[in-house]
Amino acid sequence: MDAEAQESFREFVANRSSALLRTAVLLSGGDRHAGEDLLQNALIKAAGRWHRIDEPEAYVRQILYRQQISRWRLKWRGRELSVAEPPEPGTDMEAASSATELRLLMRGALARLTARQRAVLVLRYFEDLPEAEVARILGCSVGTVRSTTHRSLARLRALAPELRALGPSAAESKPARDYSNVEVRS
Amino acid sequence: MNVDDVVREVLREQAAELTPPAPGFADRVLAVRRRRRVRGLATAAAAVAAVIAVSVGVPGLDSGGEGVRPAGGVEQDRITGRTDQSPPRELLAAGEVAMAAYYTTEKVRRSADRMVSERTYWLLDPRTKKYEKDDRWSFVAVAPGLKTAAVLERELPADRVGLLDLASGEVERWIPVDHEAGGLAFSPDGRKLVATTYGEDPGLLLRVEDPGGPVGWEPREISSRNGFQVIDVASGAGSWTEVATGDEPFGPAGFVNARQDFAFSADGRFVWAGRVSDTVELDYFDLAGDAVAPPTREAHRTWHVEAGLSPDGRRLAGDFAGKGMKTSSWILDPLTGEQVAEVHGQQLLAWADNDSLVAWDIAADGNEFHQRLVLVTVGSGKVVPLSGFRSPEDDAKGRWEPVFVRR
Repeated sequence: MDAEAQESFREFVANRSSALLRTAVLLSGGDRHAGEDLLQNALIKAAGRWHRIDEPEAYVRQILYRQQISRWRLKWRGRELSVAEPPEPGTDMEAASSATELRLLMRGALARLTARQRAVLVLRYFEDLPEAEVARILGCSVGTVRSTTHRSLARLRALAPELRALGPSAAESKPARDYSNVEVRS
Repeated sequence: MNVDDVVREVLREQAAELTPPAPGFADRVLAVRRRRRVRGLATAAAAVAAVIAVSVGVPGLDSGGEGVRPAGGVEQDRITGRTDQSPPRELLAAGEVAMAAYYTTEKVRRSADRMVSERTYWLLDPRTKKYEKDDRWSFVAVAPGLKTAAVLERELPADRVGLLDLASGEVERWIPVDHEAGGLAFSPDGRKLVATTYGEDPGLLLRVEDPGGPVGWEPREISSRNGFQVIDVASGAGSWTEVATGDEPFGPAGFVNARQDFAFSADGRFVWAGRVSDTVELDYFDLAGDAVAPPTREAHRTWHVEAGLSPDGRRLAGDFAGKGMKTSSWILDPLTGEQVAEVHGQQLLAWADNDSLVAWDIAADGNEFHQRLVLVTVGSGKVVPLSGFRSPEDDAKGRWEPVFVRR
């Protein structure tokens, strides 16, 4: 990497690292240390190919998502993230505190999903990307994105039974599998 | 409110709480990159590795930790360490196990859109007690006793299994297999072999285009594994069992990796393989090929932890238990799966005796891939280094993988 490339790399990191870190930490189930580690590795990979990358942000994001769900990470997924145990919900709590507790429960449940399940939810509900775009980023079919979303939401309910009181999402009212030939793979 | 509304809200809330990375993040990234590159080139310098091995202290898990006692090239308490060698050139052993072989992996381009991840083995010569390169084989399993190995030839999957005499380096016999094999494992008594059968090379990588970026290489999402063949070593007789893999890579039944080999259970009565899944992680079969429930003491096995059950069957090696810079692993009660102890080590590889294990552990720099072999003991903070550090660079020559076998 020559001086000019290093300068443009530094500028990119200075401008975009806050946003990228948010994604990386969410992908890591809220663990900042793991998120920084993930982003650092993605940026190292990008730095090695800096000259050949046309859209650095798209490239780094793709690495973030794919790296997080790669086989190596899966091998290490036993490294469960530690999250503070949410308090047991009281029986007569007020609406406000119950909403807070619900969010705490949800955080805990999100951290316990598999990396791939979490990646799909972050892409769909944090990045607000359409299913076809999620499929392209993860390198799978739209049907797989749909079924993974469905199963991830179901898993959240299983992990935190208190969430069962919530209404079903739009994703859950669709069929879990899609047998059409929509294969989005660029 | 719907469940996806809460997911959306919680993710945004979590993101909003984050402070930006510390100033100088880009320089930190560039510095780590430089260090990794330099280390990748420098690991061959055994002298450097030796100095690191001696000077790095691994803190005990509890305040009563006993620190480091390097094992030299001399046999002490049945431990033969090679802290100045990475990879080891001479016999490395601890208690009941010895490193029978090691291999490195290299990606070889086969065509414009295909690459194969290939292994090169170094096998222990039982006469000289040195590791000798033998690049005739794509896969090697060594039988307990370190005298014989089962080998597969270069092109995978292979249609015959060779029985290699490790002293002479000659194949004594070839055993043809009904379905082509990509992986092998011996039974604990060395009398049987299980060959994992594949439709194509389990090391195959396909070209994947990243948008806006360069080309990547990834294994096929759906493994070509199709079953296993149990072989009687003496007679060569065998029977094949078909095991289907799902057609949806991340379907409800989970999935198996491109290479996901079968192995024998600790008592040799069953064969098993792992699965990446939220629910069922282990598939066990009896030797007739019928799916069975896991044996009582192996139901809580973590498939990617190689050590498995202790020789007396009273302890089960478990998953990574560490956090941050601390690397440790769980020891489980095999009957309940309960975590009964925590030992040093990032990855538990083999039981040296009923209390001690050979493990990978990381260097003090915290890089999870910069590791050396150590001996750890349940109920003790003691860590005995066994090898020099291996390179953290993926696919580098210095990134060797050990094969441990009962000696």
